[in-house]
Amino acid sequence: MLFVLTAVVDRTLALLALVAVGISVVCLVALVRGRVPSALRDHALALATAVAVVATGGSLYFSEVAHYLPCVLCWYQRIAMYPLVVVVGVAALRRDLQVWRTVLPLTVIGAGISSWHVAVEQWPSLGAGVCDATAPCTILWVNEFGFLTIPTMALIGFVTISLLVLVAARGTEDRA
Amino acid sequence: MNATKRKRPPAKGRAAQSSRTPMILVGVGVVVLAVLIAMMTVSGSGSSVTVEELAGSPQVQSDPLPPFEGDPASDTALGQPAPEVTGQGIDGSANAGQDVTIGATGQPQLLVFLASWCPHCQAELPELVDWLDAGNLPDNVELTAVVTGLDATRPNWPPNDWLEREGYTGPTIVDDADGTIAQTYGMSGTPFWVAIDGNGQVVARAAGQLPMQQVQALADALAQQS
Repeated sequence: MLFVLTAVVDRTLALLALVAVGISVVCLVALVRGRVPSALRDHALALATAVAVVATGGSLYFSEVAHYLPCVLCWYQRIAMYPLVVVVGVAALRRDLQVWRTVLPLTVIGAGISSWHVAVEQWPSLGAGVCDATAPCTILWVNEFGFLTIPTMALIGFVTISLLVLVAARGTEDRA
Repeated sequence: MNATKRKRPPAKGRAAQSSRTPMILVGVGVVVLAVLIAMMTVSGSGSSVTVEELAGSPQVQSDPLPPFEGDPASDTALGQPAPEVTGQGIDGSANAGQDVTIGATGQPQLLVFLASWCPHCQAELPELVDWLDAGNLPDNVELTAVVTGLDATRPNWPPNDWLEREGYTGPTIVDDADGTIAQTYGMSGTPFWVAIDGNGQVVARAAGQLPMQQVQALADALAQQS
């Protein structure tokens, strides 16, 4: 039963990661063109909060319910992602459009660690060359659609949140 | 004539509340849709083999080696007697269910500790199989695969299917769920190599994927010492 539930959760999170990729593309195009649709701008912080909540909830499900052991790189990514639930959530409630100044350092660091973790998964020789018996960073706990692993989805989350807070900030310039 | 005016929320607040509701509904709808698609597309089949069914019950007859610290040159286990461990071959292997002894057997041995979920082991095994199939293992040297790190929640389970898929037909010994053999030999991670001479003494330990030239050198050195 847990196996099936975990498989459904894995697939659901992967599908939501693909949705986040779509949102990121829309944000990137809007930022590059310099024209942000008001609907996107007005809900950007709420969307960013939702991404952080889903990423945090998924991470906790993997470790606490599915018993996937987080390795050291997982912990560093958690340190970057978990606070975003509160930081971006409070900013969304207060409509603090300048929250990008607080969020970007966390998301950039988190994305960097995620990128390294993805590289270690793809090329295990980049790491220690040995599998830690307890919590190896090379193990592919999730591998949906052939490329969506846990650090890949985390990377997508960090990038999406970064772009959304920038879109929200862009709104202050449009209103100026 | 003063009519009592009802206080209405500011227009901006009402607009924000009314625009938030559709967005929340869209968000919930996306999540529900993702869950439904996931439920319809995942397969419920996983391996029914449990760790308890596959794990061995190794018996350790002598003192364990100190943990491997990472440097083969300064390994404190060198020259120490290899722990004598008796166990069983893993299901499906050449010596499945048979009693297997590693350690002081009177014959030079190479032990390779493998975990099926370990990407480095997954890279090592095919190379090892090719090396063995080419007849590179000296006749007087035994090579035994120690199947350890048993965990049904990790990828590439069960390990016996993996060994069969990769074409490994040599002797095996399966660890228990607690990794007793791995701990006894001071394994620091997988893959893990231990070379034992004909007198039952440890002559080398190494962690990580080894090139087959290095494995050949170890095997040749053991063959010459017997």
